[in-house]
Amino acid sequence: MLFNSIDFAIFLPIVFILYWFVANKKLKLQNLLIVVASYVFYGWWDWRFLSLILFSTIVDFLVGLRLGKEEDKSKRLALLWLSVLVNIGFLGFFKYYNFFIDNFSSAFSFFGYKINPNSLNIILPVGISFYTFQTMSYTIDVFRKKLNPTKDFIAFSAFVSFFPQLVAGPIERASNLLPQFYSKRKFEYEKAVDGLKQIIWGLFKKVVIADNAAQFVNVIFSNSDEYSGSTLFLGAFFFALQIYGDFSGYSDIAIGTSRLFGFNLKQNFAFPYFSRDIAEFWRRWHISLSTWFRDYLYIPLGGSKVGKWKKIRNVFIIFIVSGFWHGASWNFIVWGFLNALYFLPLMLLNKNRINKNVVAQGKYLPSFKEFSQIIITFNLTLIAWVFFRADDLKHAMSYLSEIFSKSIFTFPNFEGRSDSYLILAIIGFMFFIEWIGRNNLYAIEKIGIKWPKIVRWAWYSFLIFLIGILSQTEETPFIYFQF
Amino acid sequence: MVKFIKRILYFALFLFFTYSVFIVIWGRYSPVKKNLNYRLGLEGHTFTRLKELKKVKNVDVLFLGSSHVFRGFDNRIFEKAGYSSFSIASNGQTPIQSFFYLEKYIDSLNPKVVVFEVCPFILSRDGVEGSLVVLSNDKIDLNYSKLALKQNHLKIYNTLLFSFYQDLLFNEKSKFNEKIKDKKDTYIEGGYVENELTFYKPVTIDKKEWKYDENIFNAVSEIAKLLKRKEIKLIFVQAPVTFDLYNSYLNNSAFDAKISEYGQYYNFNETHKWNDTLDFQDFHHLNRIGVEKFNKKVLNIINNE
Repeated sequence: MLFNSIDFAIFLPIVFILYWFVANKKLKLQNLLIVVASYVFYGWWDWRFLSLILFSTIVDFLVGLRLGKEEDKSKRLALLWLSVLVNIGFLGFFKYYNFFIDNFSSAFSFFGYKINPNSLNIILPVGISFYTFQTMSYTIDVFRKKLNPTKDFIAFSAFVSFFPQLVAGPIERASNLLPQFYSKRKFEYEKAVDGLKQIIWGLFKKVVIADNAAQFVNVIFSNSDEYSGSTLFLGAFFFALQIYGDFSGYSDIAIGTSRLFGFNLKQNFAFPYFSRDIAEFWRRWHISLSTWFRDYLYIPLGGSKVGKWKKIRNVFIIFIVSGFWHGASWNFIVWGFLNALYFLPLMLLNKNRINKNVVAQGKYLPSFKEFSQIIITFNLTLIAWVFFRADDLKHAMSYLSEIFSKSIFTFPNFEGRSDSYLILAIIGFMFFIEWIGRNNLYAIEKIGIKWPKIVRWAWYSFLIFLIGILSQTEETPFIYFQF
Repeated sequence: MVKFIKRILYFALFLFFTYSVFIVIWGRYSPVKKNLNYRLGLEGHTFTRLKELKKVKNVDVLFLGSSHVFRGFDNRIFEKAGYSSFSIASNGQTPIQSFFYLEKYIDSLNPKVVVFEVCPFILSRDGVEGSLVVLSNDKIDLNYSKLALKQNHLKIYNTLLFSFYQDLLFNEKSKFNEKIKDKKDTYIEGGYVENELTFYKPVTIDKKEWKYDENIFNAVSEIAKLLKRKEIKLIFVQAPVTFDLYNSYLNNSAFDAKISEYGQYYNFNETHKWNDTLDFQDFHHLNRIGVEKFNKKVLNIINNE
């Protein structure tokens, strides 16, 4: 089920009413309702893959229980490996099988051996990268004795399958989300209203910004050999906005929906395009994934507390694995590699943590230096996004070489250019609102809270009107579903 | 919780009001319309036809369909043969709108025969364009909100709302006068739009497949049931289109088989030969010469019923 669909608009109020009016007396019943609702939500797409979630849930629940009782180190390690192998095994088979088979085949043919690869027509289960990482984090935390294993299977199932964040995150840690399923939820008016506001802003970013930008992105990337560097640059700019609007919009809707049910999820995007360097960008973009890799991969590898060469190795590992997490293709690996290259000088010069606060805090505008840093960082990410969006490496390289040619100095020209002015204006509006709200959890959190109610309501109505009048009318899936 | 639900309801009312204000301002002053598609007095004389429809009573033959109908059935030819007739047709009109009109006007029109024009070209569409045309060109009443709910599309809701306020606040449709002769088109009583004699210049049309749309065929089924209940004869026809267009569909036989499930069906592209450059004004509309030939063949069918 898509958040931007009529199905979800009907589903959400039904679950909300059942949750607060029918199941509100018993915590177990509320959790059970969440599990059922989550399975319906997921099964709406393809019920056959529910078995994967259920299997993953059972394995990690049982592994957690055993880890709670087992003191023998080698047995504990074996249990951890069992969980990791099951989860990574699912991920490996459904997401990476064909990639490895195709690449082995190409490598063999390079050396003159011909093999017939057994590629399979595998459907990638929606959200598999998200829920496997979420459930693995539970087992690892229990293994590390940072978390007590749960004995409540319903609560654990609800944690794994919680529908607002099941298919595209944020990837929640068990230590944050699981305890929330143990305690009685009380309806809080302010929290619910806040949740609705965040849903509105998320929808705006998804259906107005991302879906409209996608129209131009598709035209420009599909016919990139016909366009000038300036047009291709604009295409990459639109893609940067598409992916931001799409994914941060999804996260906002997920977090807002969770708040309606009394849950607090962690912030997943913190205005990343206002970052002054790449290190800051990665602290603000897809925070739940970055911190997952930091805690479960980077730090176990030694993090930054090792020698220079190991530090460099660790940076490349974490970025390349992160790229590979996004998709089984060389494009994503190069995208990760490029980000590692961007990050490396900052780390080696020990400047990767200089921009920890919000840019231009307490000021209306950034300084010239800050503005230049923001523009440079944005353009660096924009170049990397080309690898993310292009069909293959060859396409990405030819796309970038045209951007870096003399034709960058021409006026952009592409089919539907005149329509793009509107979306550029709306993107400007979004940046303006995000700039004003950059100190908050989401852009419109505090906007208008001191205004008279009628003005505040008119402001929310205006945003809903923009969604109604400017959204793409076809239901478009969220990009991150494919990961 | 009660406070929350109450506030949501109050906000919903407030939103309806403010959304209306925004949409009127947007529709009247914004150069970009996006999900608002209000086109009063559109090509094809839909406004005049709908105005006439309200006055017409008891016809022998009712033609239903898209522009293939209002450009393909000359009511004067049928009149001469002794049949009073009317065409309920608009640009991109799919069975969804046709059913809507039938339900509304079937009793006053009381036809003996309904000729329902169907073709893969129109029945592959989702019906949104057809609804936008009628919403822009007719006075909005409650029935139109039912049509909108059925199709559940943002463009339709926005256009419905704007069209309603155009009437309510500015009385626009009462003031509007559509020219009977507009550019090359002349509106003829009964719904036909006569075009100055022009001839089709061949163009390249990509190959494609007709795709079955459940909503569209539910409406076809509803139409068949309604007419059966009222004991009105229903004849499905596929009006002639150019060879270029007809053959661009790779699965015409599948379409014919599907339509035949609903009743008596004549595909004039299969049963008769047409001359692309002589009988057509564009790739899917007959010119006057073609209309005359086509209408005579339809008359033969009606006479034999």
